[in-house]
Amino acid sequence: MIFQRHSPKVVEENEELDVSNQSHPDVQDEVETVVGPSVNVEGDFASEGNIIVKGTVSGSVFTSKHLSVEMGAKIIANVRAGSATIAGEVKGNMKVKESLELTSTSKVIGDIDVKNLKIESGAILYGKITMPGVESSEKSIKTKTFKKSDDAAPLFG
Amino acid sequence: MYVYIYDNFLRQKNFLPIIHAMEVILTDYGIAGKILRLQNYTDSKAIIEDEIKRGAKTIVIVGNDATFGQILSRSATCNCTFGFLPVGPNNTIAEVLGIPVGVEACTVLSRRRKEFLDVGWMNNRYFVSQLKVMPSKLEVVYDERFKVTAAEKMEVIVCNLQPFFWTRDKKDKEQRVIHPQDGKLEAFIRPLTKSGWWGYKYEEPSIFPFEEMIITGREPFSVEADGKMSKEIKVKIKLAHSKVEMIVGRDRKF
Repeated sequence: MIFQRHSPKVVEENEELDVSNQSHPDVQDEVETVVGPSVNVEGDFASEGNIIVKGTVSGSVFTSKHLSVEMGAKIIANVRAGSATIAGEVKGNMKVKESLELTSTSKVIGDIDVKNLKIESGAILYGKITMPGVESSEKSIKTKTFKKSDDAAPLFG
Repeated sequence: MYVYIYDNFLRQKNFLPIIHAMEVILTDYGIAGKILRLQNYTDSKAIIEDEIKRGAKTIVIVGNDATFGQILSRSATCNCTFGFLPVGPNNTIAEVLGIPVGVEACTVLSRRRKEFLDVGWMNNRYFVSQLKVMPSKLEVVYDERFKVTAAEKMEVIVCNLQPFFWTRDKKDKEQRVIHPQDGKLEAFIRPLTKSGWWGYKYEEPSIFPFEEMIITGREPFSVEADGKMSKEIKVKIKLAHSKVEMIVGRDRKF
């Protein structure tokens, strides 16, 4: 009988423990790749998930998802990412599929190929920016002018 | 046929009521079976293989994270289904597997929802819960593609099923948790940085999901895998896919 009285209490305690574990505010369900502040990464750094860089990376960086380069971080590499937010330093060419955000503390030395670009005042950028929309519209303008000249030629001739 | 392996700590008086209640429920469900007690020098693989020869189909581990690691690290290759009944404190793996701590675990066991779990492989043995490399000068190569180094000593923790709990320093009371995913191993690297005259402080961890990793040290370093310590100079860690068939709960985290 004594044991039977004690057993529900033990269960209750365990239940409480479970609840406290579940309601933990800092539980991260999706683990990302994080490069810490005093960590150096060398080589072809690739990840399927999001990447957060707080340290130094040299070689090349690739992710199909989001890349975040935090203040004080340094990337000496060519970067390919789905989208990116840069607050640190990047030396190398960047190819971003969707959007790229350069914050006021960012410093980018290299060419950028991006669809949407947002630059805050104070950001330092040295390089060529290419946007896919511009190329296609330029081409269409050129073809239109060629067509017009072709059309116009027999009139003058 | 079910065989239950009880950890030695369950002999303590405060666990008797819960063990008794569990045994009653297991008998009600018709899944009660032979009970074996784990001693300090018990070779779990030999016991399990012996029981499989006698017709055991399901081996149920009763205890906490340490029990789970101690048994599965040696007997991951055994041809049977594993179950887990978490009892008492230090049960973090149970949460990942979706098994409630205490009497409710018997219901999960009776439902027999089976999943194949990945197991970590280190040099020549398996590890299930966690592998820890004590702070030393290390160089880590991931998937033969990139190399990770730090200026000072660093600690490496590789999580398979056990979540990683960490705090910034001794004063930091807020405990942070990162749950590992199935299908990949997660490596948490924490470099030590100097603080004050002779004190050292852990930095925020770097996290790298990986399938293969080689840790090399300038000097031999201590490795703790599932509670077993060893000294190594080079460690190759890999993921062995779908090695263990395990009864899991509906609320599992993978």
